Amino acid sequence: MFGIRTALSKTIANGPNLLHQQTRNTFILKRRWPPPLHKQGGKPGKMKARHFVYDLIEDTSVSKKQDVQVILNQFVEGVGNAGDLLTLRPTIAYRDFLMPGLAVYASPENISKFKVEENKPKVESEFSSPYAQRTMGCLSRLVLQITMSKTNPWTLEPWHVKTSFRKAGFVVPEHAITMPPVKISGPNLELQEKEFYVTVKINNKEQVNVRCRIHHWATGLERLAWQKEHWKKPMEALIPEQAAVLESMPLQQ
Amino acid sequence: MASSRIQATVRQLSKTYKKKTRFEIGIASELPTAYKKFWREWKVLKPAAVHFIPQEGKWKRDEITGETLPVQNIPIPLKYPAEIHEGIWGGEAVIKGFQKRDRNSRRVPHYWVPVLKRTVVKSEVLNTHLSVTVTGRTIKLINDHYGFDHYLLKTPACDLVSMLALKLKKQILTELMNGCPRHANNPEKQKSVYEEYKTYLSSYTPEEIEWYGLTWYEALNKVAKLKEAANKPVPLKHMYRKKLIEKLQEKESQSDSSTSDIALVADWNILTYK
Repeated sequence: MFGIRTALSKTIANGPNLLHQQTRNTFILKRRWPPPLHKQGGKPGKMKARHFVYDLIEDTSVSKKQDVQVILNQFVEGVGNAGDLLTLRPTIAYRDFLMPGLAVYASPENISKFKVEENKPKVESEFSSPYAQRTMGCLSRLVLQITMSKTNPWTLEPWHVKTSFRKAGFVVPEHAITMPPVKISGPNLELQEKEFYVTVKINNKEQVNVRCRIHHWATGLERLAWQKEHWKKPMEALIPEQAAVLESMPLQQ
Repeated sequence: MASSRIQATVRQLSKTYKKKTRFEIGIASELPTAYKKFWREWKVLKPAAVHFIPQEGKWKRDEITGETLPVQNIPIPLKYPAEIHEGIWGGEAVIKGFQKRDRNSRRVPHYWVPVLKRTVVKSEVLNTHLSVTVTGRTIKLINDHYGFDHYLLKTPACDLVSMLALKLKKQILTELMNGCPRHANNPEKQKSVYEEYKTYLSSYTPEEIEWYGLTWYEALNKVAKLKEAANKPVPLKHMYRKKLIEKLQEKESQSDSSTSDIALVADWNILTYK
């Protein structure tokens, strides 16, 4: 019987690969009392109830599955460019990449196919890194509070902005920050109700405007009154030229 | 004396008597070899070992006695419920048996039922997504074969088991045979899909594809219908009417032969003079 099986599978499987390894699936059982040997070429003898007593060897529905390799066939935000080889958990690969058609299986043909495409003159990719778009999105949504002294005189410099960015959870080097064209100095409580933007350059390529507001900080009786959800409040532009741009930037509602 | 002779004859006859197979009874004897091939792949071939680990080799030696014993893998019997045909279970099925949970307790009946889940599969040849009931093993097999179509086309019918999978396989094969008409709006894709899957067509003839994935009764119905269409009785009234018309025409031509000839000649003369 197995002879026929192998012959048939040979005729059927003209395709690229054969499964060399047996796949272990859900319940793998074993007889506790195997039936006695039967005559060669004969039928197995009549089974008794004890021959149906099974022991569970393995339940593969609870064992860890192997990772699946896929190749992206288009740019996916936050993941990679077309032709990237990903190694993913099988469920995620199947549900999020293979079924929507964002990726193909990393079969030998597909690997060779996408290698060939890589050797071609590469079209300049839109973004400097797969994460650039996501970072741009985060920064454009940010309302950066620049905390300055209410008592001591100061002039706004890039390192102030850098520090504020770090407090907000973004590591931005000073050379990536383009300051507004006017000199901002204080303390000046009029600035408290104004806003402006700085431009941040990501990977020396993408530029994104970040909305900034100055907060005058002091302790004790000098301290300014607490405001509820001040980041949602629309404010006036400090520099009239920036007003149009600030208008177009979405503010959290 | 006589009785012993009868007994001898019976013994002799019983040796030569061969039970008729299902393909030798009634209309089934007219089933084509294409269907027999499918039947063999579906019902005769032994499915792959899914729920047990088969022992390797032909012989093994007893560890204690050193006795050589043959290896006989008796598969665990599986139950195929009706629901198996509504999903693609990837060779899994229900096992009915006993558990012996403790040395001193009596065995208890137990059913091992595969974990079923509903998910989406994507068929490239059919150019569609399908919502089907599958098991974890099915998804694993699809991933290992690099796609749903490859899995169906590469797996023999005895391992697919379910009618849904067999019907889909038949549809995919038919689609391939016709050159993927579902991708007609995108000729480039149509060509690439056909190139990828055309290797599978070499294992089947068009007739085999036509008879693939039919249940026993569907196949019998098909034979009966083909037979009926081939031997369709012609109503006698058609035959008699034809004969009568012929007879009348003959009679007419005989009686009017002289006049009609003259008329024809006259016409011809007119035409030529014009």
